[in-house]
Amino acid sequence: MAEYWNITENAQVNFEKFKKEKPEPEMSITYKVGHKDFVNSGKASSEIKLMLKRLGVNPEILRRVAVASYEAEINVTAHSIGGNIICDIYLDCVHIKFKDNGPGIKSLEKALEPGWSTADDLVREMGFGAGLGLPNIKKNSDIMHIDSEESKSTLLEIIIFY
Amino acid sequence: MTTKQYFHAIDLINEKCKGCMHCVRICPTEALRIRDGRVHLDHTRCVDCGKCIGVCPFGAIVATSDPLSMINDFKYKVAIISTPFAGQFTEDIDYSTTIKALYHLGFDKVIEESMATNIMTKMKRHYIAEHKNIRPILSSNCPAVIRLIQVRFPSLLPNIFHVEAPMSVLSMYYREKYSKIQNLSPSDIGVFLIVPCIAQVAAVHQPQGAYKRIQEGAIAIRDIYNSVRNDLSTIRYLNYDFITHEKGLSRALSGQEADEVGNNKIRTIAVNGIENVIEILQKVEDHILDQYDYIVLRSCTSGCVGGILNVENPFIARSRIQSLIRNAEHHDHELDPIFSSYLNGEFDVLPLEPRSIMQLDKDMKQAIIKMKRLNEIKEQLPLIDCGACGTPNCQALAEDIVQGKASIEDCVILLKKNKNKNDD
Repeated sequence: MAEYWNITENAQVNFEKFKKEKPEPEMSITYKVGHKDFVNSGKASSEIKLMLKRLGVNPEILRRVAVASYEAEINVTAHSIGGNIICDIYLDCVHIKFKDNGPGIKSLEKALEPGWSTADDLVREMGFGAGLGLPNIKKNSDIMHIDSEESKSTLLEIIIFY
Repeated sequence: MTTKQYFHAIDLINEKCKGCMHCVRICPTEALRIRDGRVHLDHTRCVDCGKCIGVCPFGAIVATSDPLSMINDFKYKVAIISTPFAGQFTEDIDYSTTIKALYHLGFDKVIEESMATNIMTKMKRHYIAEHKNIRPILSSNCPAVIRLIQVRFPSLLPNIFHVEAPMSVLSMYYREKYSKIQNLSPSDIGVFLIVPCIAQVAAVHQPQGAYKRIQEGAIAIRDIYNSVRNDLSTIRYLNYDFITHEKGLSRALSGQEADEVGNNKIRTIAVNGIENVIEILQKVEDHILDQYDYIVLRSCTSGCVGGILNVENPFIARSRIQSLIRNAEHHDHELDPIFSSYLNGEFDVLPLEPRSIMQLDKDMKQAIIKMKRLNEIKEQLPLIDCGACGTPNCQALAEDIVQGKASIEDCVILLKKNKNKNDD
């Protein structure tokens, strides 16, 4: 069992409040991600971005949501046997959970190292697998949490405040 | 022409409209609706791409442009001909003859947009190198694309090449030059563009990001075409002193600009057709095209030769222009001062303003409520996009209902279902 938290300094106060108040999401949408389905990968993150755009979230926040959720969606496609993306929308933030059905991350420490990748040949042929996924997600989110167990499943969740 | 908050070079002729939905379905920004059997235009959404004009079977949507007679109000008349003009005429009519025709029509000086192609390439490369923090840079010379970005992709406005389009650069340069040579005030010089599309007409009348209007009018290529054909026998034997610049005609053709700007250091993509432009802009917004330096975007199929104010089929026009380019001599000409003016910032445009149609409400709480209602309404609707309600699809009807512009009773399928239920 391995867990990792990254909480940016600016988001600490908001996050404490969020944990304490446990608000109900205003909206919650679930997307399915197929195993190695590169044809459709990226569609969920694109839809999330479009929805937030329609709600009037500012462009710079949209950019971070787009980059972080796209990377995370590709990760689920490339490294897991598939899973779900749950997007919870709140009045002051978006909380996106990427839950896969396995096989878990072998070494979370290494996975967080820029340039480290376990991507297989198929994934690399598709132009992914440069080892920048998790570092990029971390860079673009206010809160990043990973909970993974080898040979079981992985949960990656991010929160971005508007 | 319509002059509300947003200028559009489109006229709707109510008596001719039969409410057939062709235009509503093709509009890339969903700006058209049929209400009470007649077409209505949402002025904020329209980007002047001209697609509706091409599909209307009844002539109820017409392109507007300025009449040639307008030039008579000026002491010195300058025509700037856009590059697609060269592709309109059959090969038995020389390119130089078509230019003579413009002098014959009363212009004192005829300038070709193609003259600026080289210098614009130089400016673009310089701009791309100077703006390393912005990727990709998006081309600016299709006004329909600029408006599309303002309306649907406001977050990409900073990516646009913020420098005047070639015909505007030439307008500024030659207005100054000829007011000096002719000893006239700049306002005595009438500068007119000969344009291939209504987006260019709209841009002349309501330029985006410009400090002031740059030209006096925009005349349709097809109007000039008629005058040239009618007077051909006279025009052929006239004598005017000028040289032609066929090499730069490449600007009319999508793909060529990207090839000219691109090199080992500058990666480019060329996109034409507004649906394709939308798809690419979505990808730019998702940051998956950040490795590209410059993307050329044109609203019309095949680029500017596809504009609605042209006469010839775009593929035939393209072939003719390519043959003119192949056989052309290269002229290095007088435009070097333009590059230093560019460096001085004389062709800079103001940061482009968004006019977003994407936001459901200014207040996020309200927007969320509307989004939820929108999803609920969508679940009731049949989702077959039949268009009988006068909106392009069920999603658009749901949005119109949420925004108070339509009601659920507008759905004919639901109405029929309910009627059947009541009859049972």
